[in-house]
Order: sequence, then C-alpha cells, then structure tokens
Amino acid sequence: MALTPTLTGQPEYCLTCHADLPEISPSHPVETFGCVKCHGGERLALDADLAHSTMRGGQNPSDFSVVEASCGGSDCHSGSAGQDRDHIHRVMTSVQATYAGAIAGVRYAFGAQPDQTARLGIFAIDDAQVTTSTGLTSLAAFDPATETAPPVIAFAQNCLNCHLAADPLPGADYARFTGCAACHTPTAGMDFQPNAPTIHRLTTAIPYTQCNTCHNRGNYSLRDMQFHPRTDLYGRSIERPDDRLQDYYQPIGQFTKCEWELDCVDCHTRGEAMGDGDIHSHKLEIQYVQCRTCHGTLAESPLTRTIADPNDVALRLAFLNPVLDLKVGDTIMVTEKGEALWNVRQRPGGRFEMVGKATGARYTVPLVKGSACTQKLDQQESRYCHECHAVQR
Amino acid sequence: MRPSFFHHLHPPTIPAPQARWRYTLGAGGLSVYFTLVLLVTGALEMFFYIPTPEQAAPSIQTITYLVPYGWLIRNLHYWAAQGLTVAAVVHLLRVVLTGAYVPPRRFNYLLGLALLVLTLMLSFSGYVLRWDEGIRWALVAGTNLLKTIPLVGNGLYGIVVGGDEPGPATLIRFYAWHIFGLTLLLVVVGVWHLFRVRRDGGIAAPPPAHRTDPSRITRAQLVRREVLAALLASIALLALAILFPAPIAPPISPDSALTADARAPWFFLWVQRLLRWGDPFWMGIFIPLIILIVLTLLPYLFANIPPMELGRWLPPRGRRAQLVTAAIFLGLVVLTMLEWFKL
Repeated sequence: MALTPTLTGQPEYCLTCHADLPEISPSHPVETFGCVKCHGGERLALDADLAHSTMRGGQNPSDFSVVEASCGGSDCHSGSAGQDRDHIHRVMTSVQATYAGAIAGVRYAFGAQPDQTARLGIFAIDDAQVTTSTGLTSLAAFDPATETAPPVIAFAQNCLNCHLAADPLPGADYARFTGCAACHTPTAGMDFQPNAPTIHRLTTAIPYTQCNTCHNRGNYSLRDMQFHPRTDLYGRSIERPDDRLQDYYQPIGQFTKCEWELDCVDCHTRGEAMGDGDIHSHKLEIQYVQCRTCHGTLAESPLTRTIADPNDVALRLAFLNPVLDLKVGDTIMVTEKGEALWNVRQRPGGRFEMVGKATGARYTVPLVKGSACTQKLDQQESRYCHECHAVQR
Repeated sequence: MRPSFFHHLHPPTIPAPQARWRYTLGAGGLSVYFTLVLLVTGALEMFFYIPTPEQAAPSIQTITYLVPYGWLIRNLHYWAAQGLTVAAVVHLLRVVLTGAYVPPRRFNYLLGLALLVLTLMLSFSGYVLRWDEGIRWALVAGTNLLKTIPLVGNGLYGIVVGGDEPGPATLIRFYAWHIFGLTLLLVVVGVWHLFRVRRDGGIAAPPPAHRTDPSRITRAQLVRREVLAALLASIALLALAILFPAPIAPPISPDSALTADARAPWFFLWVQRLLRWGDPFWMGIFIPLIILIVLTLLPYLFANIPPMELGRWLPPRGRRAQLVTAAIFLGLVVLTMLEWFKL
C-alpha cells in the first residue's frame, strides 16, 4: 500500500503493515507528512527488520538524540524564536531537559559548587541568544565520574530519572516517553512497555496525569539520595478524580481548588512548561504564573489582549487544541510577560471563561477585584492566597 | 542433423565412463547453466537497478519488495552466483584431481582458471552493487588492499575506485565492469573454453586402445543428462531463492561506524582471516597471488601424467599436483570456516 506524502514526494509503503495506526495529530496529516519524514526507516522495504532498521529513536523519533532530524528544520520545530517556532531550542535549554536546577542544587548543598548558579546539565548545551537576566550562555555535561562528594555521586546514580532525556521509572504511573513525547504523548496510566507498540498520538491537550509522571508522588530524599514512591497510592487508579487531591504533589503542600481540579497546562504557560529559550538555574526563574495572573488583585483586573492578528500565536494554539473557537476580535487573558492564556476568554457581559485544555470543561474565573478579599496589596503571591483558599485535607 | 554453432561447442558423442556424474560431477555443465541463469536474471534486474549512490539501495528494495516477482529474480540471481562460484571451484578440483589439465588441455586449463578469477570478480562487483551498509566495509577494505601494492598500488586504486574514496565514480565503475566488461569477458572466454574442450579432443579419457569400456553416449543422451541436471539445479535454485532471501541492508549512512560484524562476502572470508594475521599486502595480496600462480603453474610443474592414466580420479602420476591442490583447497576451507564461525 503506497502513500506519497506531499511534503516528500517519495512513495512509502509503511502503511502496508501500519494501516490501522491512528493519525498522530490533526497537525501532522499522514497524507502530508507520511511516516518517514518523522520516523525515518526504509520507506520501500516490506521486511519489518529492514524497514525498521534505520528508524530514528526506535519508537520515539522525538527523543533528544534524534529530535532535530525528526521534528526539526526551519519549516517545522526549529524555526525562529520571533515566530514562536523554536520549540526544539526552547525545550533543550529548559530545566526539564537540562535538569540544571536539580544538579546545581544538590552540588551546592554538598559543597561541590559555591553557589546555586547552574554550571552543568544532563548534556552540554550553548545558548547564543540570552534574553533574560538569569539566562546562562552554556552548560557543560554533568559527569558523575568527575564528582567527589558521595551524595552527589549517589544523586547521579539514583536520581536522574525525571529529566526529559531519561527513561522513566517502572510502573504505569510513571509511564512516559522521552523527548517531546514525554509530555505530548499521553501515556500516563498505560500498561507501558518501552519497546512494545503503545500509542501514536501527539497533543497539546496534556492532562495532569502526564505531568505527574515526573511532577508527583513520592519524595526525593536528600538524606539517602533516593526517590521514595508514595506507598499509600499503591494499586489506586490514576484516573480516579476523587483521588486527585490526595495524589497531588507531596502531602505537605497547600493547594487551592483550581490547582487540583484543573490541568497543569490550564494555568502554566508554554513558556513555563517548555522554557523561554534561555538556560536557567532554577525552575523559579521560569515559573511565574500566580493566582493573580488570572484572578487579578483587589486593585487590578487581570491583563488582557484583544486578538487582532490572524497569525496570533493564541489562534495557532487554539487551532492545535480546538476546545474553543477562538477568533480575531476575541479578548483573552495574558500574563505579565505577554504570554497568551488563550483558553481564558472574555465573554459578552465581561466575565472570563476558562476552558480546560485537556477536558474541555468550562469555568467562570472569579476575580478578586470587587470581592470580599482582605489581603494586603503588597502580599499577592500565591502563597498568601493559600492561607485562606487552600483545600482542607 | 545440420551442423550449427551449437555443435561446435557440444560434442556429438563422449566416452561413456567419462560421461558419468561421478566422474564429471556435472560441475562444468552446471557452471554453464548458472551463467545462463545469471545472464537472464541480471538482464531483468537491469530494468530496475539504478547505479547511483542515492538510488542503488532503494532501487534494490524496489526490486525486492515492490516489483512483481522481483524478489524471486533477485534471489535467483544471488543463488545462481553462489552456485557458479561453488561449481567453478568444484570443476577446477575435478580437473586437477583427474589430471585433465595436462597438455593438450593445458591452455584450456588456463582459460578455466581465468574464468574462475572472472567469476570471483563478478561476484565481488555484483555484491558491491548493493551499495548498502552490508557491503560498505568489504568495499573499503577490499579497495584499500590495492593501495598496499608497491609502485602500482595507488594507480590501481584510482582506476578501480575513481577517486580518493568510494563514491559515485566507484559505483558506476563497478556497474560497468559487472554488467559489461567482466560479463563480456566471461562470455567470450567461456565460449572459448567450451570450444577448446572439443578442439582438444573432448573430455579427457585414455587412448582408445587402453579403454576398458569403449562405449560412447550419443548427443541425445548427453543433452538428456544436461537437461536433467539443469532441472535439478533449477529446483535447488528455486528452493533456495524462496526459502533464503539474498542479503539486503539499509542504505549507506555517512555516520555509521565499522563494527566487529563487518564481513567480507563468503568467498573472500579466507582473505579476511588472513588479514587479521599480518601485513595487508603480504596477507591480502601476496598470498592470494601466490595461490593463483601455483594453480597457473600446475600444468607446467606436474605435467607428466601418461595418457593411460587419464579419464579417472586421482591418477597415480598426478599425486604431487593432487596434494598441492588439496592442501591449498583445505587451507582455504579452514580459513573460511575460522572466519565464518569467528573462531
């Protein structure tokens, strides 16, 4: 069964065996992309071994070892930062990929470096264009063999499981691919075998369970340099919503209702999740959305923008994940850095409606302004909101 | 029957004892048959094979997977080539071990030796035409061997490879040699070889006065045996072609590294083993050349086999030639086995 994708113009016969695969995403129609452009492989071979022998990254062409060849290119995901098409550069420099924050923190804590500024990452990387005050120009590769402090060596042995290039911990709750697919392929909770056919999907509607494959459960103990899974969760379904509050982050945390009802990506922006293109030393240099970003303060309403440009990135994002019919002329919320909260739109009458990116659920966003909130105007960070609004458990 | 060119090459009668399978082993005839199969299947492959570095391996994939029965044609070509190599070597052994190389058949023996060399060169050039990862390191190693020859080595390398390293010029040269140069030589020398068999008095046999069985078989009987052999060989070829596909590998990728698995084609595994043991020139060029020279000199060094001893296996006066040849053959087999099983 031949297919000649319009992007390559070269016939490929992969669908002879793989006709039952679902299309990976509406943005990558198989008639346009085919299979080989992303996956590599021998497009003419009808022998499985030969056909698969030159595939990039095995099952996962988005693994960082091959992502540039698979997903890159100036027309695809290595485009310009100005057009918001530099995804590969942004993710490769992000703290999720470099793990620079964890490495720097542990090395600082055990005396291997004099401050918490990152010097080392999972892989060596340079950034030619630093755009923020905390951005670094380069990281060298973290090499456990050159470390002398025993806790740092133990950290290297036991704790390098939660960066984007690492294979996940065993177990359905941790099931994820590496590279782009770690987040964009929803695998969490699947009976996930690293080398078995599992799922052919890419999405920006990323459910919290996918984030939880790294950002949840258990404790990262600095005392014995081990990851301790939460034993109280054993055997419970990851999908049961009534468990979510219990499952969410470490038990000592304080969380508001929206933090455990919404998905992570409903509030946290693409800049926070995938980085801003700079190499940072700590997640706090990149994570900035606060309660007030959406809810405003007593004095101020949240920031908004009315979409005027048909190429506005908000429209592109809504096109990728069509949970709402965003149009030119719509007013959406934006963060203080100007990033579009494209799923929070002002409705006629002035109220703001959030649409869950992974669920499609609709919520009206309550504003602080005009409410009975008595918080001081100079104490508006989320931790102050938690004082009153944290869910009791 | 009207005489035809075919009758120039095909004897009207031959002595019955020398027409037996157990005497000829059918090796010469099978070599002719395999050559015919190779010419036909090779001509068919030419309609789809594209001799450029980018297209060579994909076009072979096209032949193998997409062209109707292309896989069968390619596998038949592959197995006929392996069969030809084996049959030619067996034929050479038969000729030496029956003493048939002595004058007046000395010149035809040399023609036969030339045909064996041509067969090996055709085998290697055909193997290289795959232009995929499976042949890459054998091509690099094989052509680099040429460079080690004193004085003429670099010039020879330039002629064979057409540049400083294997590239488009190499592929088109191997293609031209395989399709045209070597094939033309093989056909011309091959026909000459067949013609000389008759010219030299037919298959080696004792003088008529010394024959215990003076009977002869007719042309019709001979053709019947030849057709039977060709049928059996065809069944064997088809079975091999259906059950054991010819090797195929991904196209050459610039960033792939030489691995311990890199292998010469099986008929040069003995050279690969020798190369592990010493200097490339002495092991890879000199020793094979010495073997060829010894085989060439055989009818000059050990020519005193009386006609009465011809037409039978292991004539007593040919002992020394038999021992030398057997030693060479066993040596090559042992070296091949050592490399094959990575001992």
